[in-house]
Amino acid sequence: MAQDFPLTIENCGHEITFEAPPASVVSIGQATSEALYFLGLGDKLAGTAVWFTDVLPQFAEVNAKVERLADNTPSFEAVVNKHPGLVTSQYEWYVGPKGSVGTREQFHDLSVPTYIWPADCVGKDNSVGVDGTREELISTEVIYRGLIELSQIFGVPEKGQTAVAELKTREVAAIDRAKALGLQDTSALFWFSSAKMDADPYVAGEKGAPGFMMKQLGIENVVQSSEEWPTVGWETIAKADPTYIVLADLQRRKFPADAIEVKQEFLQTDPVASHMDAVKAGRVIVLDAHAMDSTIRTISGLELLANIMEQQAATQ
Amino acid sequence: MTTKTLGGLSPVVSLTIGVATMVAALGFALVVGETRIPLDVIWNVLRFEFGFMAPKVNPIDHGILWSYRLPRAIVAMACGMSLALSGVVLQALLRNPLSDPYILGLSAGASTGAVAVAILGFGAGALTLSGGAFIGAMLAFGFVAWLARLARGNSGTATSSLALLLAGVAGAQLFHALTALIIAKSADANQARGIMFWMMGNLSGSRWPDVYLAVPIALAGAGVIFAHFRALDAMTFGREAAQTMGIRTGLVMAVLLSVTALLTAVMVSLTGAIGFVGLVVPHAMRFLVGVRHVRLIPATALAGGIFLILADIGARVLIPGQTLPIGVVTALVGAPTFAVILVRSSRAHSG
Amino acid sequence: MHIQVDNVSKTIQGKPILRDVSFTIESGQSLALIGPNGSGKSTLLRAIAGLLPIERGAVTIDGERVDKLSPRKLAQRLGFVTQEAGTTDAIQVMEAVKLGRTPWLSFAAPFGHRDQQIVEKAMREMAISDDGHKFFNALSGGEKQRVHIARVLSQTPEVFLLDEPTNHLDIRHQIAIIDWIKHQDATVVLALHDLNHAFACDRVAVLDGGTLAAFGSPEEVLVASVIEPIFQVALHRNSAEHIGHPVLTFAKSKVA
Repeated sequence: MAQDFPLTIENCGHEITFEAPPASVVSIGQATSEALYFLGLGDKLAGTAVWFTDVLPQFAEVNAKVERLADNTPSFEAVVNKHPGLVTSQYEWYVGPKGSVGTREQFHDLSVPTYIWPADCVGKDNSVGVDGTREELISTEVIYRGLIELSQIFGVPEKGQTAVAELKTREVAAIDRAKALGLQDTSALFWFSSAKMDADPYVAGEKGAPGFMMKQLGIENVVQSSEEWPTVGWETIAKADPTYIVLADLQRRKFPADAIEVKQEFLQTDPVASHMDAVKAGRVIVLDAHAMDSTIRTISGLELLANIMEQQAATQ
Repeated sequence: MTTKTLGGLSPVVSLTIGVATMVAALGFALVVGETRIPLDVIWNVLRFEFGFMAPKVNPIDHGILWSYRLPRAIVAMACGMSLALSGVVLQALLRNPLSDPYILGLSAGASTGAVAVAILGFGAGALTLSGGAFIGAMLAFGFVAWLARLARGNSGTATSSLALLLAGVAGAQLFHALTALIIAKSADANQARGIMFWMMGNLSGSRWPDVYLAVPIALAGAGVIFAHFRALDAMTFGREAAQTMGIRTGLVMAVLLSVTALLTAVMVSLTGAIGFVGLVVPHAMRFLVGVRHVRLIPATALAGGIFLILADIGARVLIPGQTLPIGVVTALVGAPTFAVILVRSSRAHSG
Repeated sequence: MHIQVDNVSKTIQGKPILRDVSFTIESGQSLALIGPNGSGKSTLLRAIAGLLPIERGAVTIDGERVDKLSPRKLAQRLGFVTQEAGTTDAIQVMEAVKLGRTPWLSFAAPFGHRDQQIVEKAMREMAISDDGHKFFNALSGGEKQRVHIARVLSQTPEVFLLDEPTNHLDIRHQIAIIDWIKHQDATVVLALHDLNHAFACDRVAVLDGGTLAAFGSPEEVLVASVIEPIFQVALHRNSAEHIGHPVLTFAKSKVA
């Protein structure tokens, strides 16, 4: 199937019209970069920026051929210098009303359309809460929407459909496996990192990707905040006694708690946390940090959790 | 005697009441927290820790009470005491009632040190956020002191307080700008948020090692400051007048400014920059016990400790399920209190 | 308290403010320091008080050099009433006067009954005994000045230095202070603006551009030949028997 042009897409409060597929794209944010690779659009990438972890192994080859403008925030000029036909951004933090690279209008003024990964604005108010506050529970629908819309923009809607179909199959399979376990009264905590080692940790709130994953798998989130990554005290967490503790595996090493080993050591040695059931029984799961954002990796995160829950259930 | 006293009580009685209130506040901090722990459990944990026989308690509850709540409350006490005392000293020495412990650039420097470690990776993992903050604070203070010296030139006495104030403003602005630069250039979304939360003041994560650092320093600092109560009184009419009363103002200022810088740097590195304590508590105490430092210093120390313990409890329980930054609570209480004091005291002592 | 000023010189930021000033004040005498603006009066007073270091020369009190005495010992012997020392503190008058006892107090010798008596006597001398509870900042300029003098009185020094104590005071208060100076037994040095007040003192020193231009009794110094060239005015001495000394009046200088 081909794509009809001109194409108008409503994206995060802006209506963007494409007369023809863009010749090239600069992607700001690992999620949109990997989404474009996943759609087989690697050759359209003129540059990428903002990488939280290493690129997925299956994309390593194609990624090696794409210029990396910055590991972190690129400058507006560096992006525009590539004369891209489109700029994609994972967060409004980078391209948005208070974007650190620039506002969407700045790009539009230069006739460069912008596309924000829908997960960052659908059902979310980025002006409330430091990481934004979710009004509705996110679902994988926004991830699929991002893939579909990107494939449409580039005139290859069939690639989007295929990609989404594949992910949906895997998603449903993982959910079914989890449901088959018939778990009851299972809860979990997702621990991202902490600014200071013993201080209140950043944990996943109700409505972000981790919250979604837990809901799909029939697990209750011990944290009940609508903020995406609120800080909650260890006292509250310990008393809530989660069945599973999921630790984010980050590559960044800026806060001491970024490293998995450090998080695990805390759980073993802290006078309160070490007495949690999940810690004593070894129900601590390590998950790629990037899977905790709403990206294509979320599906593999779901699968990993389902796997581990099956293993756990088998050993009970 | 002509001076106001707190309801006319003798010093011994007031001191006893003050200390008793402090202990009660600590007890309150044990009892009230994010989650509910029954009183008999608390009692059993205390009995156990003080060497008496007591029934076994759920280890999580035990850990929460003894390793979380109690050290946190003690650190809050030491921090509140230190910040309030720093405020009193700076207000007296700089002859500026709006002085707070951060006026000499300490909190700005601490922020810069913290982001240098957390975002730029200074110290290559060997340095913690707190370590970076402490070094940043002392660097900023050194810079401000040096700048003030330059500005003062050879003119000697009267302008030195002004020079310090101005240098403090300049230094703070410089370090704030550095902090903003580092964040803008190199932080990703998560880091910026983490740093900002810490900078607003955060007592979570206080454990016994923090107590062993904070309490001796707070007490030592309080001791040195109290020993100078006459010198602080003598500064009432300015540095020159104090000199004519026999005070070695140069030495006194050097000692007291260094002590307050050290106290503030240690506290800020442990807990972030908690505002309003150093500014408002001294004024509130002046209103209650008068301006003589022999009373003001102990009163301020006790009041500052009690205030911060209670503010920390408030930060944790005011909104269920969420912890407010403690700086928000101190501001919510401090700002209106300051306004009330301002109105009342202007009525009291102007013509 | 015999004060000896020997060859005192002081430079501030490269400018010489005092040049080789020398004079002696005998015990119990009062000295008026006069001179045009910028002649170095305040600087000289501060040098005598030990507040400013001097490059050359020395100030001695009863043979002891001022810069060699500890600040505390110096404060026990010398009291300084500065111009307009204000405060933002809500301090009460009694507490302000009590500050004068500072150089005599220590941990071993805290404020006691005798100190209280000294403070009350000082307040009586300055007629502010009933004002103890009032807040310093609620007082008028003249009353504040009297509080400062009471404070320095309670310091029980042997020498009083006053920097233009009659500035900003109304006539009644000016006369009261001049009167107090006349009846003082202690040694007094005061900087003055109003030349007529100088007649209350035993000696007058005239500073001009940092040098001592004249020194002597008021009758010797407050004459046209001395005053006119230094102050660049025309001076007229009018006799006034009821006062006991001439009254000086001034006019624009006849010399260009």
